[in-house]
Amino acid sequence: MSGVMLQSCAACGHSWQFRRATCPACGSPSFGEVEAGGGGTVWSVTTVLRAPLPELDVPGGFGIALVKLDEGPRIMCRTAAGLAIGDRVQVAVEDDGMPRAVRAGSELEDAGSG
Amino acid sequence: MAYLTGVAVTAFGKHPGRGPVDLMEEAALSALADAGLPREAVDGLVSGYATTYPHLMMGTVMAERLAIRPRHAHQAQVGGATGAVGIILARHLIAAGACRHVLVVGGENRLTGQSRDDAVKTLAGVGHPIHEVPLGASIPAYYALVAARYLHETGASEADLAELAVLMRRHAAAHPGAQLAKPITVADVMASKPIATPLKFLDCCPISDGAAAVIVSAEPMGAAAIRLAGWGEAHTHQHVSEMPDDLGLGAKLAAAQAFETAGRSPADMRLLGLYDSFTPTLAIFIEALGYAQLGQAGAAARDGRFSRDGALPLNLHGGLMSYGHPGVAGFLAHVVEMVRQMRGEAGERQVADAPLAYCHADGGVFSSHAGFVLERTA
Ligand SMILES: [Zn+2]
Repeated sequence: MSGVMLQSCAACGHSWQFRRATCPACGSPSFGEVEAGGGGTVWSVTTVLRAPLPELDVPGGFGIALVKLDEGPRIMCRTAAGLAIGDRVQVAVEDDGMPRAVRAGSELEDAGSG
Repeated sequence: MAYLTGVAVTAFGKHPGRGPVDLMEEAALSALADAGLPREAVDGLVSGYATTYPHLMMGTVMAERLAIRPRHAHQAQVGGATGAVGIILARHLIAAGACRHVLVVGGENRLTGQSRDDAVKTLAGVGHPIHEVPLGASIPAYYALVAARYLHETGASEADLAELAVLMRRHAAAHPGAQLAKPITVADVMASKPIATPLKFLDCCPISDGAAAVIVSAEPMGAAAIRLAGWGEAHTHQHVSEMPDDLGLGAKLAAAQAFETAGRSPADMRLLGLYDSFTPTLAIFIEALGYAQLGQAGAAARDGRFSRDGALPLNLHGGLMSYGHPGVAGFLAHVVEMVRQMRGEAGERQVADAPLAYCHADGGVFSSHAGFVLERTA
């Protein structure tokens, strides 16, 4: 379970992340709340060396990626270092409420070691 | 018909002890003097906002400070595109017969009026309050994501982007009002400290104090008539998460309208004033407008295309990256430089001849676009 909630249109099948009253693709008010599978591809990624709030600063910086989910929407995630555009990732919302993208397959290793 | 009849810009940098209203007042009075207009002739006023003085009614604040009673006044907020949207709106007010002389003014003490942390935090707020800002994203981070994507799609290098920073610095050296005039090289840009990869310190514009003003009138005032010949806007998204896959789409849509309403083509332009908050902003605009092949903006700059004696001189005052960026006044400074160049008043920065020019700005993260064609008609 990714914990990433999407809205998905019953009329045209389009999915999106930012909450709306109607489908941005076709205008239909008929949509459901669905949980994303979590699979996706890195659309872009940066390592931020200077956070906008001091309490968010992490020594050595922190990664932020835009991930194109398999369901369609592009969403912003935290990442560890080392991801590149085009990499397959798995996204899951962590305890701090932030979605985190890790290289696909590595979340299984984490589960195995934990 | 609408004409740019009065322009003024303060020096950008530090103006300690002076607030946004003080700085905007100086620019507005200078623009009136430039137009040769008495202040009571101003019957329309579009003011910018100031992050150091958040106010619900800055338009009225400025009207009171200038002791004028315009028939229309309001505060516009479209981020970095505010000045461009304000000028286009002034044209619409004039075309509608509502006003004859519209003052568009912006300025603030963004550098000395707050801490750098506060400035960065305020600007980060253009991001999504639930899905982006809490992740620690900042304005440089949003633009870094676009920059990384741009480099991936085009094959351009970070050194190519650096060429644009070097060019802006070289142009700024010829303007006494510029905040940053010390020459830099591509190696300096590459060696500057990383902010959000691939953006380094010298890929980013500075934070500045300063103000600028432009008066848009129903008829020309001085010897040179600079007509606002065409205009276009596009508002494709707010948040980078929902930015179109085509990074240049907003710029293309706004520019297409501007050239169509002007009855001109991009190839007719002889001077460019493009928003340059970060080196990739400038590269994406240059390429979306067709002034370089995809991924080739930096190479074209290196080859001299955008230099004062090149085919398409660009931001001859040094742009946001080196003249400086105090918010709304940042892009208005581009417009001031364009008008001075088109009038032939730019002194040692003067280009040979520039009867047609294109100006373009974005607000947010390539979110709001406004572009216009200027044409010298007399
Ligand atoms: Zn739909």
